[in-house]
Amino acid sequence: MRQARLTAERSGRRLGGGPIINRWALLAVPAIVFLIAFFLAPLVAVSLRSVTEFPKPTTDIFANYERFAASASNVRVLANTFWVAVLSTVVCLALGYPYAYLMNIVRPRIAGLLLIAVLLPFWSSLLVRTYAWQVILRDTGIINTFLLDMHWVEEPLPLIRTTLGVMLGMSQILLPFMVLPLYASMRRIDPELTKAAANLGARPFTAFRRVFLPLSMPGVLAGSLLVFVLALGFYITPALLGSPKDTMISQFIASAVQQRLDWGIASTMGVILLALALIVLFVASRFVRLRDVYGSLEES
Amino acid sequence: MTSWRRLSSTLVAGLILVAACGGGASTAPTGTPPASVAPATATPAAADLCTAPPKAPAGTTLTFVSYGGAYQKAQRQGWLEPYAALTGVTFQESEDSSNATIKAQVESGQVSWDIVDVGNDFGLDANAALLEPLDYTKIHKDEILPGFAGTYRVADITYGVVLAYNTDKLAGQVPQGWADYFDTAKFPGKRGMWDYSAGGIFEVALLADGVKPTDLYPLDIPRAVAKLDTIKNDMVFWGSGAESQDLIGKGEVSMTLIWNGRGYSAKHIDNKPVEIQWNDQIVTADYFVVPKGTPNKDQAMNFIAWATCKENNAAPSKYIPYGPTNTLSKADPSTVAELSVSNINDTTAYFDDAWIVDNAQALEDAYQEWKTK
Repeated sequence: MRQARLTAERSGRRLGGGPIINRWALLAVPAIVFLIAFFLAPLVAVSLRSVTEFPKPTTDIFANYERFAASASNVRVLANTFWVAVLSTVVCLALGYPYAYLMNIVRPRIAGLLLIAVLLPFWSSLLVRTYAWQVILRDTGIINTFLLDMHWVEEPLPLIRTTLGVMLGMSQILLPFMVLPLYASMRRIDPELTKAAANLGARPFTAFRRVFLPLSMPGVLAGSLLVFVLALGFYITPALLGSPKDTMISQFIASAVQQRLDWGIASTMGVILLALALIVLFVASRFVRLRDVYGSLEES
Repeated sequence: MTSWRRLSSTLVAGLILVAACGGGASTAPTGTPPASVAPATATPAAADLCTAPPKAPAGTTLTFVSYGGAYQKAQRQGWLEPYAALTGVTFQESEDSSNATIKAQVESGQVSWDIVDVGNDFGLDANAALLEPLDYTKIHKDEILPGFAGTYRVADITYGVVLAYNTDKLAGQVPQGWADYFDTAKFPGKRGMWDYSAGGIFEVALLADGVKPTDLYPLDIPRAVAKLDTIKNDMVFWGSGAESQDLIGKGEVSMTLIWNGRGYSAKHIDNKPVEIQWNDQIVTADYFVVPKGTPNKDQAMNFIAWATCKENNAAPSKYIPYGPTNTLSKADPSTVAELSVSNINDTTAYFDDAWIVDNAQALEDAYQEWKTK
């Protein structure tokens, strides 16, 4: 690949080939039209709805935002949403990093099998997998029935309707989003570097900590941001596996849209969630260049 | 090597799309009872809309929308098929009734639904902008249960929000009503509840606390919350009828609030040790509404009038234990004992839908404040 790029640069296609690049750029037009029509326009419509649609007529355009803030449960659930997202990110990182590291050091064929193993659950729907977790975790589920039948426990263990249940369900779904960017960034690390560190007298752990780990940070950040942002939007998993205390803001949005037809407050919650997610990205960008983070995904 | 990297990045992009396509849990009072075959109750013919509805213009297609499953099948067999045979109408069906879709269709001016079966929290004056007023020159309003026919909606079937219990879990004890639902010392086990602020949770807490069914409204929310606090840690919340049926059937909960058709299905279809306690039931209904702006308004009104006639209204009860709303309509003998309207007594309560809709925000806030704390 590097060789190919050098060839291309030498032959001047990159530098002098302006019109060629422009013609190819036309291929992106459908994607841009798609994004404007199905992403940007609805986003604007939702934002507008949050300041124009009210259950009771009012002249105060921020009435929905005031309604949102006035309810203690909204604020509590919003905070919980971020807490659950952070927790899922940490769990996925703790599980995903060693896994990606393993994929990186084994032969490509084994790495391929490991990749398939982490992707396999993706081939069934999120809803089906969440119901499967219910069957496994609940009081009359597989684990508790076994433990009770063996008389190892007197009462069913509290597995479902707990934060533990939510974490199991969410990390199973989100793990690939952590493993793949990690693996991609680890592949880019020149294996000679850790060998060189060893040559200079570093112990394996020191070589890992001072050489490999820092070089894998773009993957860690890319995976973490991806998992975090996706986790913010979960609602089926916490609804089916969590307790009321694990309620996330998307459950409120769904209920406002479907049951109460209060699309003004639903839009408001959506805008607030989006704004807070953007703030998190902004803060993250203070510490790391996001282009590096997402660049690690497109590098090939 | 590079091919693996490329594969990885492609997969990441693909997975994001996959994750974006989540599913949604539905909340619909559908049951799955058997299609018991029984002779239709014959009524002397009178030459009117009820027995001889006018032929529809050739090519008339009506879109009928309900909640799918055995419920919609019963409506299809009881109403749609006979009506189509009588009038020549072709029915197109959708099984995803949703207030939100009606709103989206009407607001965008793309109304493709003609007759929609909705829950009791929809179709009141608050939704006037979304619905056509019903044509009461055709519908026999005086025959419908009092309070179940409004400007924009008329009840098509009745059902009960009831207490169901798992007889294995309770070892022979029989709960007599919602007071026993709150007595976890005498009746051990967890308690199932619909995860919806307007689904009956406050009502049953107040009934359990000794409020008379006739004095329920306006709801004393602080009193209800105090009662609910006593069993909060024993409660399991469900989001769909199928879930409630599964929870009580498996014994994950020993008692639950349930729609009577789902309780019936747990016992008779799943063959689980489940019984219904009819004391303290809340009788409620599903309603027909017509989205504003449908080009088939008149034909939709004809169908609604026909399906709520005394001759036709009870037809689905042959297939599912949901009862008629027309007081002169005779339910099928095979399910009559299992119907909400057959089990009305002086402990029976009714939702005040208008009060609930007017106070939806306060109910929701109080509910979430209690539940998520």
